[in-house]
Amino acid sequence: MIRFEGVLKAYGSLEVVKKLDLHVLEGEFLVLIGPSGCGKTTTLKMINRLIEPTSGKILVNGQNIMEMNPVTLRRKIGYVIQQIGLFPNMTIMDNVDLVPRLLGWDREKRINRVYELLELVGMDPEVYANRYPNELSGGQQQRIGVLRALAAGPSIILMDEPFGALDPITRENLQDELKNLQSKLNKTIVFVTHDMDEAMKLADRIAIMKDGEIIQLGSPESILRNPSDDFVLEFIGKHRVNSCELEKVESIMKTNPVTTDPDRKGTEMLALMKRKGVNTVLVVKNDKQLIGVVTIEKLDNKQNLTYKAEYLADTGLPVITAGSPAREAFDLLVSQKLEYLPVVDQNRGLLGLVTRTSMVNALASVVWGEEELS
Amino acid sequence: MSPLLDLLLLRWPELLTATWQHIYISLGSVALGALLAVPLGIWLSTREHISRMVLGVVGTIQTIPSLAFFGFVLPILGIGILPAMSVLFLYSLLPILRNTYTGIREVDPALIEAGRGMGMNSRQLLFMVKLPVALPVIMAGIRISTVYIISWTTIAALIGAGGLGDLIWGGMNVYDIWLIVAGTIPAALLALLAGFTLGRLEKTVTPRGLKAGYTSGEGEFNI
Repeated sequence: MIRFEGVLKAYGSLEVVKKLDLHVLEGEFLVLIGPSGCGKTTTLKMINRLIEPTSGKILVNGQNIMEMNPVTLRRKIGYVIQQIGLFPNMTIMDNVDLVPRLLGWDREKRINRVYELLELVGMDPEVYANRYPNELSGGQQQRIGVLRALAAGPSIILMDEPFGALDPITRENLQDELKNLQSKLNKTIVFVTHDMDEAMKLADRIAIMKDGEIIQLGSPESILRNPSDDFVLEFIGKHRVNSCELEKVESIMKTNPVTTDPDRKGTEMLALMKRKGVNTVLVVKNDKQLIGVVTIEKLDNKQNLTYKAEYLADTGLPVITAGSPAREAFDLLVSQKLEYLPVVDQNRGLLGLVTRTSMVNALASVVWGEEELS
Repeated sequence: MSPLLDLLLLRWPELLTATWQHIYISLGSVALGALLAVPLGIWLSTREHISRMVLGVVGTIQTIPSLAFFGFVLPILGIGILPAMSVLFLYSLLPILRNTYTGIREVDPALIEAGRGMGMNSRQLLFMVKLPVALPVIMAGIRISTVYIISWTTIAALIGAGGLGDLIWGGMNVYDIWLIVAGTIPAALLALLAGFTLGRLEKTVTPRGLKAGYTSGEGEFNI
């Protein structure tokens, strides 16, 4: 779709993009990321000729862009910038409508298109079409910025840190919407950012740039798993490599849960709970084999107090094996709304317990680790 | 007051003619000035190097004392309306030129980038973005020019252009304070009126989206 062949951009002796080879595939969401001055924006702007390469070739749909009229080229490529750049003298309608107007679409078609687009992002056209940009919030303005890029139905969209100036919550929302739009519209998107979280969330492939070169190119997953060097490692943040996804349940569980053997009566268990300050006990056979769990609610009944643990135990409780990823335990806790999850070995021998508290602790250590890094 | 009333009763046709002359000399000069300065300012806005030179020259013209300037053109263009309007025309250039130039130069670069990036050619960029956004500033330049050219037109009477200056200079020659007043008040009123009208026009041409005082809060807000 877009192919860079040995593209070099130099200002005097300063090479900001060095002999770049890159092939952006059709329908792909490619994120260019790197520290400031790494050449990512220059690379992006060379695609629509806002910056012209010093040497090398850029092909769009197999056509060398240097042989195309820049104005014609740009009208075929959507463009979204960080400063949004909506025209303050035009209504939302006129802003979104701009490229179709330049292309000479007839009026009715243009109005339909604007309405369709506004509805696509959930902005009521009757309310917004005739407003001016300064009557919208920053997030709404950039939604319009994105719509403006989509208006004439280009197959390629260039986005230069489009959400960089927005507050974190709005940014998240727009990222979700963009991802959503992308899955519906299947555009080829080249997206510049310096925010790794954003890249991880949006990209099909990430190109990490440094000093005008691509250091690593690959899916977010592959970059996380195999960072090519220390720079990439540093850039993606060390915490990601040993994130909870890779941790095992056994490393986060509590190892000494309160247990009882199956013969104990309800009254004894109640006393045990009081003494240990817990509201559940695990019932184990032969000092190890997990039978089930008795909760304090079960004992809130005179008759039950006289029964033995093995009759009172709830045996249908989900369990998890020690070797599973910690994340699975979290998912179970959250999805089944459990307070705790017993950890067992292959033979249902009790090893420990994952509680909501241990989940929070594990997450906190990840967050804490992150702070330590930055 | 009676001497002024007498004067008005006696000389009102002359006053009317002078006012009319005053209007067309001043407004004509500014109109011609705008006709040159606006396009020139636009042209200069993309040529930083030449612009510094041109703005320098026009700025220098501004520093020549007006009385002296009328004197300079006298041997070349003689007396009458033509030399007067030539001088006033030159004086009107600077505020209009400078405002046009800076108005366009100060259009947010993000708008220019967005416009270019979306495939506007330079003419479309000028007429769809730069000019509409800079228009209030350009209009302010024209207003400033108009107001002070109306007051300087009184000096043009010195080289026989006519206008309200005739009454003022005449009054000074014969020590008739009321004649001076009869020339000054209409000239001042004209300047005020022009300033007010053009100020209103400035507001009218300011696109709604550029007017201050609009809330840019969350969208559910109705204005």
